[in-house]
Amino acid sequence: MRTIRKMGMMLATCMLIDGTALAHHSFTAEFDQKKPVRLVGKVTEMKWSNPHSWIYIDVETNGKTVNWALETGAANALVRRGWKKGDLPTGTVLIVDGWQARNGSPTANVGTVTFSDGRKLFAGSSKEGELSK
Amino acid sequence: MYSRFLRARCPAAIPRPRLSALIAVVLVAALYGPAQAAVITAAVPRTTDGKPDLQGIWQARGTAADDLQRHGASRGVKAGKSVVEGGAIPYQTWAAAKKRQNFANRKTADPLASCYFPGVPRIMYLGYPFHIFQTGEHVAIAFAWSSVFRLIYTDGKPPLHDGVESWMGNSRGHWEGDTLVVKVTDHNDKTWFDMAGDFHSDALSVTERYTMLDADSISYAAEMEDSKVFTKPWKIGVTLVRQKKATGLGEYECQAEKEEANGAFEPDPRTWFPKPVSEASRLVSQAAATFSTPEGNALPELKPGDKIRRMADGKPDLSGYYQANSGNANQGLERHDKEEFTPATRGIVVDPPDGLLPYRPWAREEQLSRAQPYRGYDDPTAHCFVAGVPRSMYTPSPYQILQPPGYVVFLFERMSWRVIPMDGRAHLPDKVRLWQGDSVGHWEGDTLVVDTTNLNGRTWLNEVGDVVSYAERVVERFTPVDAGKIVYRATVTDPIVYDRPWTIEVLVNKQAEELLEVACHEDNGDLQHLKDVRDEYRAEQKKEKSR
Repeated sequence: MRTIRKMGMMLATCMLIDGTALAHHSFTAEFDQKKPVRLVGKVTEMKWSNPHSWIYIDVETNGKTVNWALETGAANALVRRGWKKGDLPTGTVLIVDGWQARNGSPTANVGTVTFSDGRKLFAGSSKEGELSK
Repeated sequence: MYSRFLRARCPAAIPRPRLSALIAVVLVAALYGPAQAAVITAAVPRTTDGKPDLQGIWQARGTAADDLQRHGASRGVKAGKSVVEGGAIPYQTWAAAKKRQNFANRKTADPLASCYFPGVPRIMYLGYPFHIFQTGEHVAIAFAWSSVFRLIYTDGKPPLHDGVESWMGNSRGHWEGDTLVVKVTDHNDKTWFDMAGDFHSDALSVTERYTMLDADSISYAAEMEDSKVFTKPWKIGVTLVRQKKATGLGEYECQAEKEEANGAFEPDPRTWFPKPVSEASRLVSQAAATFSTPEGNALPELKPGDKIRRMADGKPDLSGYYQANSGNANQGLERHDKEEFTPATRGIVVDPPDGLLPYRPWAREEQLSRAQPYRGYDDPTAHCFVAGVPRSMYTPSPYQILQPPGYVVFLFERMSWRVIPMDGRAHLPDKVRLWQGDSVGHWEGDTLVVDTTNLNGRTWLNEVGDVVSYAERVVERFTPVDAGKIVYRATVTDPIVYDRPWTIEVLVNKQAEELLEVACHEDNGDLQHLKDVRDEYRAEQKKEKSR
């Protein structure tokens, strides 16, 4: 995992976080704005659930693999924007910018998700506007 | 736990099937000849369009909830007869072994042990009452069990979102003569049929048949097809019995009861309905002595638009799928700027005129504490509990309004309902306390007015912890301003928390969508994270004290 504090701060200030739009809990309580993270890894699982879907990715750091849980928007919001189960196959490489959970676990709330070719994937809870396919 | 639910069921007479409708149908039958007359086998009530009227409160008879097949008594399971046609479920060999394993592990492996939604058909014979509503386009069923509902589309339109797996499935119905036939698809593979571990895969398809036998009983049949688990389709038959003495459903909130019992959800002595109950009236009247209703700042009266939809009886037709434009009210009823992950809020308090909630000092202090990260765990909706009133109406989740005869029904996508009787009945006894309260509605001109009392004081108004207590009373006003817009106002009176009433206002917009399912606590990993934050804070506080 690489923490790019400066970049995170920039993201935090530039992005319109409408985030909690679909939340059922307080984001401020769970995630830490002082812990922005950028993660690069391969999808191990996409869990379609409500009120949040989760993307799991394996992130390699210094030869060690850590499986990160990334919280995105509700499955229903994804469905209504035309996404279907299976649209994010395992093994897909993703670049994720988000914020780590306050409890220090490998869990993050997703700001943006980018494919290796630069296309943006739905983000979820934090950037509803990018959900369109 | 269960006793609270039972207390909530108030014994009194339910409205009887309308005799006039019955006579009308017999007349129609006489006019249109023997083919029509043949379907009338017993005096079943009918809706105005001549369909059997299934509306009312029902509960399944028998022990199907324990085990669909013939079974002797065993731990936690009553002995009973098989409701399966032919006696046995035709499992494939591997599946029969899996079922035996499920049975052995049922105490923890039963999805109901985790309060997951029971699925169809299990919810129909679970042993809890349910209320059936009928309109021209839908049959809706509200269940006492964890505020679960089913919305069955009978409008003949194809589903908007096909192939989306859910716990309760996708239900589409039609009438075959006097039988309501409902095809239920898109099941997940996680629900069981009973407590004995009978199960299925995600290939399950269920065809239900509801046939009224007489005014007070429905023959309920369900046929199950699942080529991954069974060797052939199989059927069950259960009788649904009208709960003649019930006027409402009450609530059994499975997850909330569980977490209250195991201490995961902690009581708040200042807002929860007090024990002993006799304390409540003393505390409320003590608070009322310093509570005032200012005169002279009434809100401007809303005029319903010319283009509003109307029912056959001339009342406004509010039915449809709606979403509130709430300006992030779930992150604050008062206007505030963005702070960390809490977005800016528009502020929806329209009275007092300054837009601030008229808190008593202790309650404002409590709200500010609740807004801290270490209190995020305490928000009941973080536990996936029912949002309460008025929070259900502006939380960022859509809802469906139905207007069956005598009721207005709200079905919230986050799987809860509010049933509003329009018959002017009295509220439930004071000691009965519910997450969604006890609501009674009436029309004032073209405005639907809903009065809600009997709230339990366990809900928060949003994620920044705006406070209400068991003394909360809410008067909501739904004024349609055009065919697809409703102005929603709610006035909250809570002398324990506030020193005067206050009112919020949002616009609610109708949309061309269908409800999907939110099974909130199926995967609520957030709660553990929030608990970690709280526990760390508590540990630090303890350390500081011991220094």
